[in-house]
Amino acid sequence: MDVRLDDVRFTRNGREVVSIPSLQIRAGRTTAVLGPNGAGKTTLLRLVAGLERPTAGRVLVGGESAERGHRRVAFAFQEEVFLRQSIRKNLELGVCLQGASSGEARAAATEALRLLRIDGLAERRADQVSGGERRRANLARALCLRMPVVLLDEPMAGLDGTTYSRLLDELPQLLGAGGATCVLVTHDPEEAFRLADDIIVLIGGSVLAAGAKADVAASPMREVVAHTLGYAVLQRGERRVAIPSRTLRLGQGNIEFMASADAVIDLVSAWDVIVSVGEARVHVPLSRTATPPMPGDRVLIHAAIAYDLLD
Amino acid sequence: MDPGTLAISLRTLAISGAATVLSIAIGVPIGYVLAWRRFRGRTILLGIVNTGMGMPPVVVGLVVWLLLVRSGPFGVFELIYTAPAMVIAQFLLATPIVIGFATASFQSMNPRIVDLLRVLGAGRLRRVWILAREARLGLMTAVMAAFGAIVSEVGASMIVGGNLERSTRVLTTAIVTETSRGEVERALSLGVVLFALSLAVNITLTVVQQRSRH
Repeated sequence: MDVRLDDVRFTRNGREVVSIPSLQIRAGRTTAVLGPNGAGKTTLLRLVAGLERPTAGRVLVGGESAERGHRRVAFAFQEEVFLRQSIRKNLELGVCLQGASSGEARAAATEALRLLRIDGLAERRADQVSGGERRRANLARALCLRMPVVLLDEPMAGLDGTTYSRLLDELPQLLGAGGATCVLVTHDPEEAFRLADDIIVLIGGSVLAAGAKADVAASPMREVVAHTLGYAVLQRGERRVAIPSRTLRLGQGNIEFMASADAVIDLVSAWDVIVSVGEARVHVPLSRTATPPMPGDRVLIHAAIAYDLLD
Repeated sequence: MDPGTLAISLRTLAISGAATVLSIAIGVPIGYVLAWRRFRGRTILLGIVNTGMGMPPVVVGLVVWLLLVRSGPFGVFELIYTAPAMVIAQFLLATPIVIGFATASFQSMNPRIVDLLRVLGAGRLRRVWILAREARLGLMTAVMAAFGAIVSEVGASMIVGGNLERSTRVLTTAIVTETSRGEVERALSLGVVLFALSLAVNITLTVVQQRSRH
């Protein structure tokens, strides 16, 4: 089921929060909405969920107005909300409200809890489990509804390192299993590229880039988009270029830059450090240089890819 | 307990119980609206409700008496000096208390719960029911406060009920009567019965309230 926004504007207290002339979220795919804090990402999800009415324009879910779409959309809020009852009962409530029998609701809840590996916590209340477990329960509730559209607001926020990496590995499979159209909000580009098929870059309430992730990644066009995608923006002669930070290395390479190391940020291991160069974080393998660069040192950086920016 | 005291006790329980049930039926939905909806005059309404929580029973009794007395606007119903008149007066005393506590209970909940229930597809009535269940700890406090306030009031019951021995005498008005007759010992024993009645109701409600925490 696809989602379309036509000429949508949404204002709150006189301030324009979202302004989107046209946007299509493709059916059956996972789309990441990427943007900094305050970009309007959560408001976009709330518009799709029908929880907010656009000031102007239309939000269509499967061709019908989103305001009538409550029974087609599952929403995992960033701030998990649970009723004061067991996690299982919380999951079953949603399924029952869709008209399922209590037996069907129990089966759906059991399956979702098993998929998220929290079946052992089914009879506990949400406030009696850890933050990571609660986040999984929140996801389980959204998935067990088996809705054609699933909205996830920062599903990975606040997780500890181990749970984060495990869920990052498992989530694409979980989202793909239901065949639903999934829209997830994040401000982490790595998360977006790992989890999504399509990417929307939302900044200041406007869509600055949208499309298949390979296309969006290959044409950042504007500096603000490049930063949101996690690219380093560097000057190369007359041009400003965007470079995926993970491809930056010190030493010889296809495209070379001379830059000034601003600071040594982090000692990654006995052999590696991370230094900042402007807004970029550059990984420096110490095995090639006898000593780590000092702040102000000129460093030679190379990158495999560099995208020209228009601004 | 002698038959007279038993009859007065049961009447007290019936009148104050009925007024409490009615005030919950009306007060909880109003509390829901005041907690979750934003509309013009809401804050003033909340101020009126809060004032109503401390309304002197004798003033409420006087107003109800003026409305129900034979020459009053509702005199045709011939309710004055009857148990239903006492229920009306006690209902008016209890309702602001229920609304005040219910509003506070609903407001202390995470506002995202309403969003969650809307997205899950719960209709308006279903939402009120689920949220009332969720706020049950606070709502039980509302019941206890409302019942406690009206079972112990004397002014309104005396004015609109008339303290008629076989139909409208309740424990509080009976205590006043016995004291004025000089029957202090009987007044004191009625006081003990009133206290025991109030204690029994509140302990029962507290047990239910605390069980629902788990």
